[in-house]
Amino acid sequence: MWSIAFQTLIADRGKLLTALVGVVFSIVLVNVQGGLFLGFIKKAGLLADCGEAQIWVGHKKMYNVDFPQDIPRRWVHRVRSVPGVKRAEPYLIGQTNTTLPSGGFELVVVVGADRESLLGNAWNVVQGRPEAILKPNGVIIDEYDREKLEYPEMGEIREVGGLRARVVGFSHGIKSFLVTPYVFTTYERAAAYLRKNPNVCSYYLVQLQPGAEAEEVCAAIRQRVPELDAFPRHVYSRISANYWLTRSGLGISFGAATLIGLFVGFVMVAQTLYALVLDRLTEFGTLKAIGATERQIYRILFLQATFMAVVGSLIGLVLVAAIQHFYSTPVALIFIPGWLSLGSGALVLVICLIASSLPYLRIRKVDPLIVLQS
Amino acid sequence: MIANQLSANSDLQVLPAVGHLARPTQWAVRVEAVHKAYRRGGTTTPVLNGVDLAVAAGECVFLAGPSGSGKTTLLSILGCILTPDRGRVQILDRDVLALDPPGRVCLRRDQIGFVFQRFNLIRGLTALENVCVPLVLRGVSARAAHRRGRVLLEAVGLAEKMGAQPQNLSAGECQRVALARALANNPELILADEPTASLDAANGPEVMKLLRRLTTEEGKTAIVVTHDQRIFPFADRVLWLENGRVVETEQLASPSPAGVGAQRVEA
Repeated sequence: MWSIAFQTLIADRGKLLTALVGVVFSIVLVNVQGGLFLGFIKKAGLLADCGEAQIWVGHKKMYNVDFPQDIPRRWVHRVRSVPGVKRAEPYLIGQTNTTLPSGGFELVVVVGADRESLLGNAWNVVQGRPEAILKPNGVIIDEYDREKLEYPEMGEIREVGGLRARVVGFSHGIKSFLVTPYVFTTYERAAAYLRKNPNVCSYYLVQLQPGAEAEEVCAAIRQRVPELDAFPRHVYSRISANYWLTRSGLGISFGAATLIGLFVGFVMVAQTLYALVLDRLTEFGTLKAIGATERQIYRILFLQATFMAVVGSLIGLVLVAAIQHFYSTPVALIFIPGWLSLGSGALVLVICLIASSLPYLRIRKVDPLIVLQS
Repeated sequence: MIANQLSANSDLQVLPAVGHLARPTQWAVRVEAVHKAYRRGGTTTPVLNGVDLAVAAGECVFLAGPSGSGKTTLLSILGCILTPDRGRVQILDRDVLALDPPGRVCLRRDQIGFVFQRFNLIRGLTALENVCVPLVLRGVSARAAHRRGRVLLEAVGLAEKMGAQPQNLSAGECQRVALARALANNPELILADEPTASLDAANGPEVMKLLRRLTTEEGKTAIVVTHDQRIFPFADRVLWLENGRVVETEQLASPSPAGVGAQRVEA
């Protein structure tokens, strides 16, 4: 049966190619759109995902990593006393302006880490060293923000929040959701740049003792300091992503593009299978006349649709890998987890199978008598 | 010779001629008072008006008559493709009207071989793969199907063309492939619809010789719808249909081996 399905399919190479183009188009669109979407969303919680803190503690209304509300710095001692907490340090995040050599201003997100532990400091530092922020006026920025900040060099003096800042390092790929450059420095200097009262901070970053469960420690922190909230980092990252999803309509626009991709693939596969069937109505009539059952006829279409889905998906995924390799940057991150690739393949397979049922409905009406009425 | 070739093949043991085992009488086909009418719009057009027909096992019977006389409809009823409005149809001792649709499909697949006017080979499949189609539909393994297909193609003289696509075969070769396909499941009954209509003067008789030898040597029953009077000598009997009835029977030879010598009997 496989041989009948396969041979008759490749006999019409033009139509097969059209269907494969449809499937490949769907796979590429779903994966690239989905990858871009996930890449964007990933940026929303980047500080939480990639930093070394396992728990983020903040204001009761904490909903986005980049938009914190002030909490008293002194409460950090209450958090440190919670069983399971190995280390808890204050962390400061806020927005201010930096001056540009051309005379303009650029909004930046200043991130202040505790100078002892450097918890929450820049990672992936490709020029300089992370601890260089301890140098006088030291800041680390991302190399992908060089253009936006008009190409600062190592050691160059800039002004952040009206105060001196010396570029002491460059990280690679720490880009915020809002594409506002991150400026990493010490907690005290960040407070100065942001003109914050040094007695307040944005979060407490917590590291756990070995064997401690993040959820349990979070619950204990909430109990110990009821004015605060605490989340494991992956949970807070998701909360930050949801903030953008629910408030920006981003999910709808990406989702719509993805659905269009799937729909186009569906139409192309359905149209191709239908055209194949119309071309071969007499042959399907012949098969019926020589004893093919309805089930066997559908099996032929099922196998053909499966073949198109599998081959098209494989070609599509190779293309997606190439696109990801050449075009994914921290600015436009294409993040394609395994479940997205597998899920898109499965989705396309389902769509192809649904598409195959349309020509099947046509074949069901074919009377084997047609082969005797020629 | 063909019989020897086919019987010598061990695959035939895998595909027993069920009809031979199950048939206690000498009749391969019995049709009694069959009526069939087509309804289109509000109009009913009678096509068969009480056809009676009995074909003995091993007999080769031709159905002839003008267009619209009901030949193809009768052939379709014999092939379990159409069901009559009234009457009784027995194929290889099985009451066709008592079978459910899947049962009729199985009967058609396992015990009836079709040869069509336009060959109806499947594009994209080689000659060998086309012959194997009925076997594949019956669930025979690919290897066994190919063995059987090769034997059949050798038997119809196409040993060298097994890998050829239908578009690369001549009309005569295509019809021989179609004949081999009709024999794939070792059917008891072969139904042919204008098998020589698309063939030239040389190929038509060649195909009929093959068909005739099969019915003679293998004991198959053949019913052939045709307009082609050149091939009448290959029939045991020619039944003339007009207005949905058998109006005349021309006895050309005693049932079984083909012979010459006509004897007309008014129906």
